[in-house]
Amino acid sequence: MQQHEIRRFVERYFAANGCTFVEANDDYLTVQLTAEMDKELMNRPFYWHYIERTGGVPQPMQLTLIIRANERTDKLKGERLHFGAPRLHQLFRSAQKRGSFIRLYEEPSAPLDGNAALHPWLGMNVTISYECDRKKDEIVSLGLHLISGTIVESFHERMRERRLTPKIPDYCFTISPLIKPRSGIGRLEQYIRSRIAADDHAWADEARRRWADDLALLDEFYKDCEEKPECYYIEKEALEKQYKPRITVSVINGGLFYLLPRSS
Amino acid sequence: MNIDLEMDETWKEEFLERVEKDGPWASWEMYELALEAAHHVSVPEFHGLQAPKHLPHLTILPHQLEVARRVVEEMNGKAILADEVGLGKTIEAGLVLKEYMIRGLVKKALILVPASLVSQWVRELNEKFFIPAVQQKKSYVWEQCDIVVSSIDTAKKPPHRDIIYGQSYDMIIIDEAHKLKNNKTKNYEFVQNLKKKFCLLLTATPIQNRIEEIFNLVSLLKPGHLGSSEQFAKTYGKTRAVQTNDHLKALVNKVMIRNRRADTPIEWAKRHVEPVLIEFTNEEREMYEAVKALRRESFAGSFSLITLLREACSSREALFLTIKNMIDKCGGAVPEPLKRVVEKINAVTTNSKAEKALELIRSINDKVIIFTEYRATQLYLQWFLKQHGISSVPFRGGFRRGKKDWMQELFKHHAQVFIATEAGGEGINLQFCRYVINYDLPWNPMRLEQRIGRVHRLGQTDDVYIYNFAVKQTVEEHILTLLYEKIRLFERVVGELDDILAKMNLANLERYFEDAFVHSRSEGEMKVKMENIVAMIELAEQLGKEGGERYAAT
Repeated sequence: MQQHEIRRFVERYFAANGCTFVEANDDYLTVQLTAEMDKELMNRPFYWHYIERTGGVPQPMQLTLIIRANERTDKLKGERLHFGAPRLHQLFRSAQKRGSFIRLYEEPSAPLDGNAALHPWLGMNVTISYECDRKKDEIVSLGLHLISGTIVESFHERMRERRLTPKIPDYCFTISPLIKPRSGIGRLEQYIRSRIAADDHAWADEARRRWADDLALLDEFYKDCEEKPECYYIEKEALEKQYKPRITVSVINGGLFYLLPRSS
Repeated sequence: MNIDLEMDETWKEEFLERVEKDGPWASWEMYELALEAAHHVSVPEFHGLQAPKHLPHLTILPHQLEVARRVVEEMNGKAILADEVGLGKTIEAGLVLKEYMIRGLVKKALILVPASLVSQWVRELNEKFFIPAVQQKKSYVWEQCDIVVSSIDTAKKPPHRDIIYGQSYDMIIIDEAHKLKNNKTKNYEFVQNLKKKFCLLLTATPIQNRIEEIFNLVSLLKPGHLGSSEQFAKTYGKTRAVQTNDHLKALVNKVMIRNRRADTPIEWAKRHVEPVLIEFTNEEREMYEAVKALRRESFAGSFSLITLLREACSSREALFLTIKNMIDKCGGAVPEPLKRVVEKINAVTTNSKAEKALELIRSINDKVIIFTEYRATQLYLQWFLKQHGISSVPFRGGFRRGKKDWMQELFKHHAQVFIATEAGGEGINLQFCRYVINYDLPWNPMRLEQRIGRVHRLGQTDDVYIYNFAVKQTVEEHILTLLYEKIRLFERVVGELDDILAKMNLANLERYFEDAFVHSRSEGEMKVKMENIVAMIELAEQLGKEGGERYAAT
């Protein structure tokens, strides 16, 4: 993640959460936090508790984030922001927490002749993590048509091309889903399972081989012991934790999308 | 496909609840940011290192990166990191830990280090690696904090031990791991019973160890890698040192990485070493001779004459402290020879070495570190320098970390001289200083290296000056001659001697010296013994050269 990307992310994050910029130049940003964002990010529960109990006037903090350090920023009381900075990762977590659930409607691009029907879709972005003593992640975006059961990939990219709004547009009505959200999620999960099953899992075989090798060494080490000591079992369990391949699927975010049907 | 698959349920339940309650819903912008954040924290490849991208402010050297890569990709996260002093083992360990944390493979880690290094580790992990490491101070810390730094002595004691055994650690890091070379110790047993998925053992001196010690260290990390102890004894029992057996060497190198200064392309600051010979005054000489005369006494066996002689070379204060202890032990009647020594001590009014040090410090006119082995000398020097208007900071191993840090800062900003006793040698970084006075010389060349390593390390940009003090016609001059002329310590590449000592299987050079000095009945016998030591070193060196191969991990 480059510094300009970090800057863009931070600006969008604070703007999306109603904060204003007291100062914004190439080197740094100073943000006036709202009370809500102060509570979210600044970790001062006692202050807020005190203000609320005494009915005092809250003074949310300002936060100065330095994007490009130089002599000018040295004089500031600010935090340097870079890809490893704890503050940035706090913003990442906060964004994920605040952007988990959504419901949007598509806005027709041209005036409509009559009423338009919006079709319900369930969208889900998930991280699939492949884990042994190493790990890799894959992010997959899926959409399920809650009428026909059709599943599409790269759903999120498709949504970026549409005009979406949180309120149902005039002259539009929604079709009720035939597939209820709960079973919709079930279908997407099933789809993910099959997708994973169809993959090549050489990584897991290799991990099991490394596991078996180490286990053989461990058995050899204790082979002359009639009764194996406790540390044998501790080590054996640790090897399982180290090498045993496993896959976890976690949802980043998702929601309901009411979309105009496309002819294609 | 036979792999455990786990679906996250938390999102599902909350989503359904919001559908039920018709919200609240995020904005499209927030939704996009959430996905973007997920992309940034995800790791798309099994291979490669993510950590450097997270640490743009940290200068990571190529050999450190390579260590981290090998530990993760080739050693599956279990390794002995054995770089020579000053190459940055802490950085390497931090990189590996960070890499696993970024990948979500390590959440809970236990870092066991000598007590004197605990707060330094905490600080470095937090400041350099943004790893929220915590010093163990209260017992709830074991359970409630994810990354805990503690001394092994605390950790192994109840009630801590049982709480720790109840934890499941993803990673264990042990600094100064050569202290775990003996598998009969409590420390060894404690570490053996820890649940450890990934494990790093850090040590600068694995090569000094005897072959059984290497076996114990490796078996702690990866039991069975060198076979069972019976097998090992059968196969390698006659091998004296690891590097004389190619097969064993190859096996050990699978779990151990050792970088040497000579192998890294780093341009080291130059090191100038200068012997400084000092002449005793008549009074000092008489004091020294009075101590030497104690050799003939019947109670001589109960104490180390060599220690007394070295103290006499250091300061009368250091000598007096030990003599007084001896007198106290004698009860009422003070033996005549001890009385004589005390008389001679009282007659001494100056300290030639201290005078020399003062002269040198004045001419250097910059920050200077003085190493002495004796606390009494340390106190004396502080007082002596103060008499002459020079500010100094004392430093001991026994200081609590906070005090150590404070002293280090005091030296950096407010004092000219830093006076450290031997124990102060480990775990402090004083790169901002480049003059070292070895006020009295340690026997063990490796200890001398550790002292010098405090200033001659990564980050030192200027030439370093080392002054080795020795009093003429004393035990010190013998040590100096041996180190300079016979072993040619200061002409060698750093680390070379380490190999040689290992080849000789002569880790404890000190014992040989002591024997030569104390048990020799004449000057002649002592000389012969010293020559023998030198001959052994030369032989080992020759063997090493004929073998052609230097012990290196890569």
